[in-house]
Amino acid sequence: MKVVTGVVGNDVHVVANRLIEISLKERGFEVFNLGVNTYLEEFIDAVVETRADVLLISSLNGEAEGWCRDLQSLKSNYDLKDVIFMIGGNLGVGEMNPAEIVPKFKDYGFDLVFHQVDLNEGLDVLEEYLGARR
Amino acid sequence: MNLLAIERDAIVGNEFIENFDFAEVEEFIKNASANLFISHKFKNSNEILVQPRGGFPTYDKVFELYEEFEKVKVDVLPLTIDSNTRLNDYESARKMLKLSEESEMDMLNGYPLINHGYRTTRRMITHFDTPVSLRHGTPDARLLVEVALASGIFEIEGGPISYLLPYSKNFPLDKAFLYWKYVEKVCAKYSKLNLPINRESFGPLSATLQPPAIVLVIQILEMLLSLEEGVKSFSVSFSQTGSMNQDIVSSNVIKKLSRFYADKFGHDDATINLVYHQWMGAFPRDKNFSESLINTSTVIASIVGADKIITKTRDEAFGIPTKEANALTVANTKYTLKILKGIPKISDEEEEENLTNEVNEILEAVFNDKADTLWRKIFNSIKKGYIDIPFSPHIINNNEVITIRDKNFNIRILEKGKLPISKKSFDYEKSKIKLDKDRTVVDQIIDGIGIML
Repeated sequence: MKVVTGVVGNDVHVVANRLIEISLKERGFEVFNLGVNTYLEEFIDAVVETRADVLLISSLNGEAEGWCRDLQSLKSNYDLKDVIFMIGGNLGVGEMNPAEIVPKFKDYGFDLVFHQVDLNEGLDVLEEYLGARR
Repeated sequence: MNLLAIERDAIVGNEFIENFDFAEVEEFIKNASANLFISHKFKNSNEILVQPRGGFPTYDKVFELYEEFEKVKVDVLPLTIDSNTRLNDYESARKMLKLSEESEMDMLNGYPLINHGYRTTRRMITHFDTPVSLRHGTPDARLLVEVALASGIFEIEGGPISYLLPYSKNFPLDKAFLYWKYVEKVCAKYSKLNLPINRESFGPLSATLQPPAIVLVIQILEMLLSLEEGVKSFSVSFSQTGSMNQDIVSSNVIKKLSRFYADKFGHDDATINLVYHQWMGAFPRDKNFSESLINTSTVIASIVGADKIITKTRDEAFGIPTKEANALTVANTKYTLKILKGIPKISDEEEEENLTNEVNEILEAVFNDKADTLWRKIFNSIKKGYIDIPFSPHIINNNEVITIRDKNFNIRILEKGKLPISKKSFDYEKSKIKLDKDRTVVDQIIDGIGIML
């Protein structure tokens, strides 16, 4: 399984990004890590180029929403219906209600949304989701 | 006119600089008070010099901060530069400075030195007549350093590796080497006019589980790059690792090896100092615990025989500290240093031998690169992954090295990536690691990052 990952927008928080890469490798994924400060267009290009199964975007500075609004329209330019779109991290500035923020990101085109959820818990859900689809 | 002079003219010909007068600046430096030179203070003091961190957007707030530090008899004043200036975006810094001056709000996270200019800033520096250290994080610091030196700031922190790999995603590394070469040349040139300008490397790097071997290699290489341009006073540094023993081992080895390599490359006339950073990782949210951590750091600085300690504050977990909290740390740190006399000399031969071997092995691989100049050898070595720091945002960093803490909180190399260390050295690292089989490696790395929480 191939995963493209990185931190979206102007967000330089590298520690979680490196831990995500290590965790994914530990779980047997092939990882293409685009690192910090990555724009949505670059993620989509990498997914197409690597024929990835999963795109895992992370965000820590709370500015993800502004950077991910256009996901639906970008997705429509390519045939990406088999790709799982996942986002996790700290998805809002200030205190956010997960009951509101999760549906919002699902509307933007994400299959799996994790707001302030433990990394391993999020990856466990991803593996279950992949297993169920097979 | 030689090439450097032509380049300097072009650099200070920036639209944000008003009439940079090289002749006047030379005259100023030639006659500057010895008290402004940290190199002078290092030479004439038996105490560990205490330097806090800090910088505000406006002249007045920095002046007030310095007054607060003066009350507690600070040894070295900091001048931290804002993030726009670090990225050479002087126009944004100008706007934000104007907004900060018009309101009570600080719109910048440091002092925009270019916009204030050297004539204004020099008034403040000479008023306090205390050494000032320039703290920034700038890959292209050519103009910043010209203005700093013209202002009377005679210690310049940073370097092409230590200010790039932890701070930037894609600033070209080869350019960083050339821009820092300029900085070294200017520092060396002014050092001939009066006392030496001191250069300092930034050892904390990304401040997250940095293996001492890589920290020491980068310190020694930045030292050599600086000395080869003619700098005569240089500080190597590292930050508290989380293991007192590893701090002691690191200090013993870096003192020995920095002197050894400086001499080996023909710089036996250069002075090498050691700087210790109080804990640079995540701080506890309980301010009393923070004070305890800071005090422990001070004790370690004393044991390792640092020449200077750079402090944190009880407000660290919450953001930029108030000037009062900042001065309080300076007072407390100086108190702790004062009561710690007659500290025993501690060493750990086995650990020191291993660290010495690792550093020598990596340096040998760097020096054996086929390139014709030292900076190109280092550039190639970083590209090859011979130098690889954990948790770097930069695209050129190899990102294969993984570190983890052992039972005594020592940082160990779990995955060596392309590091050119011997089997013996790597076996030693691995022999110290006892992984918990019931938990993921990542969870154990996260524990290691958060030991002080």
